[in-house]
Amino acid sequence: MEGYFSAAVAGLGAAGAYALLGVCVVFTYRLVSVVNFTGASIGAAGTFVLVVLHQAGLGVLPAAIIGLVAGTLTGMLIGSVMTRWFAQASASTKAAVNVALLVGIVSVGLRLTGGQHPKQFPDLFPGSAFSLADVQVTISALVALGVAAAFTLVSDYFLARTSLGLQLQALSENPKSAELLGIRVGLLSLVVWAVTGLLATFAMMIIAPARSPDFMSLSLLIIPALAAALVGAFRNPWMTFAGGMGIGILQGLTSNIPHLGQYRGTIPLLVILAVLLWTQRGARWDEAR
Amino acid sequence: MKHDSIKSSLRLVVAAIVGGVIAREALPEYWVYLATSVLITAIVLQSLGLVVSRAGMISLCQMSFAGVGAWVVGWLNVAGAPGGLIVWTLIGGLAAVPFGVAIGLPALRLRGVNLAIVTLGFASAFDMVLATINFPGQTNFLSVARPALFASDGNYFVLVLAFYVAVSVGLEFLARSRLGASWLALRHSERAAASNGVNIPAAKVSAFAISAFIAGLSGGLLAGFLGTVVSSNFSVMQSLAMFAVAIMAGSFFPEGALIGGLLVVLVPQILRTFGLAQDWGNVLFAVGATQALSTGEAISEAVRKVARKIPWPRSTKAGPEGVADGKKLPAPLRLDRSTDALRIEALSVRYGQLVALDDVDLSVPVGEVMGLIGPNGAGKSTLIDAVSGFLAHYEGRVSVAGEKFDGRRAHLRARGGIRRTWQTTRIAPELTVGQYMRLAAGRLREDQLRAVLDWLECADARMLVSSLDAGTRRLLDVAGAVAARPAVVLLDEPAAGQSYDDAYELGNHIARIPTLFGSAVLLVEHDMDLIRLACSSVAVLDFGAVVATGRTREVLDDASVKRAYLGIAEEAMA
Repeated sequence: MEGYFSAAVAGLGAAGAYALLGVCVVFTYRLVSVVNFTGASIGAAGTFVLVVLHQAGLGVLPAAIIGLVAGTLTGMLIGSVMTRWFAQASASTKAAVNVALLVGIVSVGLRLTGGQHPKQFPDLFPGSAFSLADVQVTISALVALGVAAAFTLVSDYFLARTSLGLQLQALSENPKSAELLGIRVGLLSLVVWAVTGLLATFAMMIIAPARSPDFMSLSLLIIPALAAALVGAFRNPWMTFAGGMGIGILQGLTSNIPHLGQYRGTIPLLVILAVLLWTQRGARWDEAR
Repeated sequence: MKHDSIKSSLRLVVAAIVGGVIAREALPEYWVYLATSVLITAIVLQSLGLVVSRAGMISLCQMSFAGVGAWVVGWLNVAGAPGGLIVWTLIGGLAAVPFGVAIGLPALRLRGVNLAIVTLGFASAFDMVLATINFPGQTNFLSVARPALFASDGNYFVLVLAFYVAVSVGLEFLARSRLGASWLALRHSERAAASNGVNIPAAKVSAFAISAFIAGLSGGLLAGFLGTVVSSNFSVMQSLAMFAVAIMAGSFFPEGALIGGLLVVLVPQILRTFGLAQDWGNVLFAVGATQALSTGEAISEAVRKVARKIPWPRSTKAGPEGVADGKKLPAPLRLDRSTDALRIEALSVRYGQLVALDDVDLSVPVGEVMGLIGPNGAGKSTLIDAVSGFLAHYEGRVSVAGEKFDGRRAHLRARGGIRRTWQTTRIAPELTVGQYMRLAAGRLREDQLRAVLDWLECADARMLVSSLDAGTRRLLDVAGAVAARPAVVLLDEPAAGQSYDDAYELGNHIARIPTLFGSAVLLVEHDMDLIRLACSSVAVLDFGAVVATGRTREVLDDASVKRAYLGIAEEAMA
């Protein structure tokens, strides 16, 4: 029993990162109508900037700050492609473009970071905060959870309580009409991409030292994040937070079970399938008349 | 239709034989080797073209399906199963189908990008599982045995070419079948497809399952080609890159798949000669796909456009003269005149606090054309939506020819005897008129098809829907609905946007629908002349309630109707 508890606690860092990435996905989707498959790869770009600068001898803190800026800029770059050419496109076209951009980022990333060769990742917040029933809770896990919870709170407030948030959501499908109302959609969507790029980079910096640290594997951490977003039905930040936490802890738990642990990578898929089966009660129809 | 499939298939087979002989005899050995991998890649791209371009869905795990095929072939090889590579490859393709169904079923009843998410999840999970379980024969270097006849690289090329041609011919026939038409239809509008009786989830899952089968085949062929495969052949990145290439090259067409195959194989070769890393190839595909999506034109579409401008000698032979002859129309439906074609009892629809329909009773007798009129927002379209199964909830009862329809899904209502048209037509523009008619009405003989189209003076069966003007598309909507000969046809403003003369013509045609096709009609219209011309009775809807029903002339002359509908006050009339 104790073993399971410690395994669950060990999954907390990943849980926080998944939750943060997942809420970023929901936030982007609600405000600019793009399911962002590139979220984790944007974060991976910033994280690799941190690694390279750190290996070149820069201190962790300045390297991390520059890395966060790089992630933010990468997010804005992707965002400007999406808003500039595809703001009026259909949802499936936007998704296809986004996947194409994912291919692009990952290929460039793999090239610049030397393919699949693992790198040494610095721990941003080394050490453990406290021990819970003989299990060490790391500082970085706590920070990840804290930032995830804070952003969930902020995005929930922004999406549901502020008039700007409500307006942007109402108009996200049709940016042209928003322009007619005098809302500077282009600028605001870039801000959305910048904020989510920054937070995704932070999430990836936290989780990277514990993962197989190549660009491709890190980019694929978007899958648990998308699974979490599905738990929140791409609407509800707190449910998404809970989904991310659940997947992270579940992965921690299964890694402790002999023979099953090596298949823990399939958990996000199982969560996705379960959520889809649950949501599809009753037929739904495409756009109203 | 079938004739066209056979013709273009023959063309493809001849081209393949000529190209194959030239490639095998004239090309150096290394080039034949490359050509084989081009074809194997082209088969994967065809499987993607089916899902992405035909049915409009995003799949990011085609190489995982190929991996399933390769794994099964490897396993059968190690187990020494009888049949040899060709049979194993077919089994490998079939083995990928249950995977396709298992991940497609949950995603495909919902719209949106769920399939993209679930397929990406599958690709990644498959990657991790493959990395732990290895391919059969991988650890003891047991390579997949080719059949003796196809053992040499040159002959193996011929085998792969044969598979490529078989897949292309199969897809060609599918594309022109009713199933293929339903894929295009649902990509354009799921509602419209369902109103023609298409079972949307089943059509989507069938597209995805067939695509998994084709991808599985390519995996088996790859296993035979390379002898031993490793998990990186089927990684997530491979699947993602394939998706980008399929978009860039436009794998909708067989030649698009071939162009894509050439890109995938040759670009890394070219990069290598310039001393560049192969990752840049994927960057190129990503940029190319983005470009194709922003212009809406893939490479193969651009090629076709150029090819159309070349003045090929064309056969100008026209089809046999079609004469508007009532005798050639499909036999009308015969219903018992003692029941109503459509009976609506106590129908109520609420959207939150808003009552859209309030306790509506309405019956359309067999053999009658009934008008349904009322001001905008009176609930006419809501009534049609409820009756035809496009509302999630309503209260009350709907029965067609005595049969209860409540609780049935839209496509089952369409098959059971309710057909409807839409205020804005939603016919997939990529279909031909004939394909659409067969999608809507099922099996029709060539002369019956022509007779229906001639009767409405609609269009030639071979024309593309995209080449028709809006008015003709509306007629085609009506033609499809009546040719299906349902118990009742619900026409939602069929004359909107028609000229006065055309609307007059249409009114005459609608009046004859019960006689010619046996279907009763409920006609929603704002054009009162059309209503007077076509309808024997009229119901008036105002604020969600029926305020008058009766013979057309009596109802339209009724004072309260004039007030509700025409906005004429009683004082003014007095």
